[in-house]
Amino acid sequence: MADVLLPNVTAELPLKTIDANLILYIILIIVVAYILTWLLSFVLMHISERIGWYRTSVTMIIPLLKLLVYLVALYYIIIAIIEPSLTQMIAFSGLFGAAIGFGLKDLFADIVGGVVIIFEKPYQIGDKVTIGDRYGEVTDIGIRATRIKTPADEQVSVPNFTIFAQPVTSGNAGDLAMMIVIDLFIHPDSDPEKAMKILKEALVTSKYVIISKKYPCTVLLDDFPFYKRIRAKGYVNDLRLEFEFKSEVTRRAWAEFRKAGIRPPAFVPPAGGDPAHAPGEADA
Amino acid sequence: MAADQKGARKGTVIGLEKEIQDITNTIERFGTGTPDHIAIISEPMGGRSTIVSEIRRLHGDKVHYLPLEFVISPDSLPDFSTIKEDIILIDNCRFLATRRIGGFDVLDAFLHAQISSKKLFITTWNAFAWQYLSAVMNIEAYFPVIVSIARMDTPVLKQMILSRYEPGEIQFLDEGATDRSMFYSLVHKNVHLPLTKKDISIPWIKSNFTVMLRGMPRKKHIQVSIEDVIFEKINRIARGNPGVALLLWESSLNENTISLASIREIPYDIDLDTNESFILTIILSMKSLHEKDLSAIAGSEMDIQRVLYRLVQQRVVRDDAGYYSIPPFALGPVIEYLKKTRRLW
Repeated sequence: MADVLLPNVTAELPLKTIDANLILYIILIIVVAYILTWLLSFVLMHISERIGWYRTSVTMIIPLLKLLVYLVALYYIIIAIIEPSLTQMIAFSGLFGAAIGFGLKDLFADIVGGVVIIFEKPYQIGDKVTIGDRYGEVTDIGIRATRIKTPADEQVSVPNFTIFAQPVTSGNAGDLAMMIVIDLFIHPDSDPEKAMKILKEALVTSKYVIISKKYPCTVLLDDFPFYKRIRAKGYVNDLRLEFEFKSEVTRRAWAEFRKAGIRPPAFVPPAGGDPAHAPGEADA
Repeated sequence: MAADQKGARKGTVIGLEKEIQDITNTIERFGTGTPDHIAIISEPMGGRSTIVSEIRRLHGDKVHYLPLEFVISPDSLPDFSTIKEDIILIDNCRFLATRRIGGFDVLDAFLHAQISSKKLFITTWNAFAWQYLSAVMNIEAYFPVIVSIARMDTPVLKQMILSRYEPGEIQFLDEGATDRSMFYSLVHKNVHLPLTKKDISIPWIKSNFTVMLRGMPRKKHIQVSIEDVIFEKINRIARGNPGVALLLWESSLNENTISLASIREIPYDIDLDTNESFILTIILSMKSLHEKDLSAIAGSEMDIQRVLYRLVQQRVVRDDAGYYSIPPFALGPVIEYLKKTRRLW
């Protein structure tokens, strides 16, 4: 069909002779592009780790640079094969697109997903995200897939196309600090005011917390038939320490609860049973 | 030292005139109504003691001076109603709170006593302790008058230090450094934030246009005073902290002679884990703290002795018979490190 529509253009495409040298040249371009993207990622990740506050600002440019390198590599490969004019380039792009549409649509969708992620930034490298049923820190945004490191230290590769099909939740939206919700459940006869004071002080004196007008903290009380829930909301200063933060606040609060005669409830709600339960919440 | 005696006699409040005036105005306004309590805030060695001395010198007969020397327990908080003077000056208020569960009870009691009293309270605070308490409990709401001591600029620092000596008493050795042009110098500007009562101090690059214009078109040989170059270096190392700058000046001075080479900058390569950074932040906020207080703040989960050993070993903390503090020349690098690692907000 393409031959019918564009007989002159395709007939005149100055295809070069494909020999061993050309294949080696193309392989070399791919290898150089791969090494360059790896090197860029490595250097920028290294810089971002040393930069403190602005870690995620540096990592957010990594996917963009990678895309740029791969586009340049693709350009060099194309001109190495056909040396096209502008008209031929447009025609070739149409044919190439059709080929992708029929044979490589999944790969193409992932690449488009990657481009959308780079420019729309639903998440960035270093963010804590939930994609589908997977939760973890984004360690790499590639052309085809996003890599996530789960709390169990597993590397999960999520195709970039997933952002079109499933909701994506970013816990910190590019910031290094992240809000953490900590729920403690106490016996209905225990003194809730004393419990709230203790939990608030456990939160604000934590070695992991960050508090300011931008990062406020609060403690809330909710009454249920068989227990009272004390909920603390505060920001951890580095999202990588979210579990340490939750654990430290919970442990110190309960140590003080015991001293103050505050008891746990006889009935403990199951994790996730509460509709307001966010992933990763610490229960006592 | 003769210079200290002279310093006590003249020029002790150089660079702090506005702060002294604000406090004096508030004291003179103080009458029968609700008192405007004052908070004086500065970094460690930033000039609080100088202001306190000046207030006592100017208003000593009306002021009851109460310096806090260690962490205050609930039963050691004084009964302010028994004090006969109408103005109470409480120094080192950082000791009213500690960063642990239950560590704010004394401060809560103090603030309650303060707002219930008809007396005027003048309080001094470590800037980092104040920042923390401001974030956690909005402490500024209790103090209508907040006097923040900004970092000192080089010309003021030069004036402050040289006022301690007779003219010509100090010899500045020129080792060829005056050939350098000083196109830029770091100053600190006080900026008033709109819609708030706060002034913040921001670092600012000041261009020395005269030097630039003289030097650039005709390639003219630029002669800059060696004094200015020396004080620029001292202030850069001290990061605008007058106490640190004064110590650096005194340690660089050799029989009333000073040169650029004699001003040594101690390099620090700070690398700390979470526990170490946390304890270092506490020590910075409290200036000096005993090991038992640090142990109470650290809790049972942290090996405080190991942490303190590591901090002392990296020279960012010194041990004075069980009291831990940050050496003056480490203050700047420590503050920068803790800001970079988000320990100071």
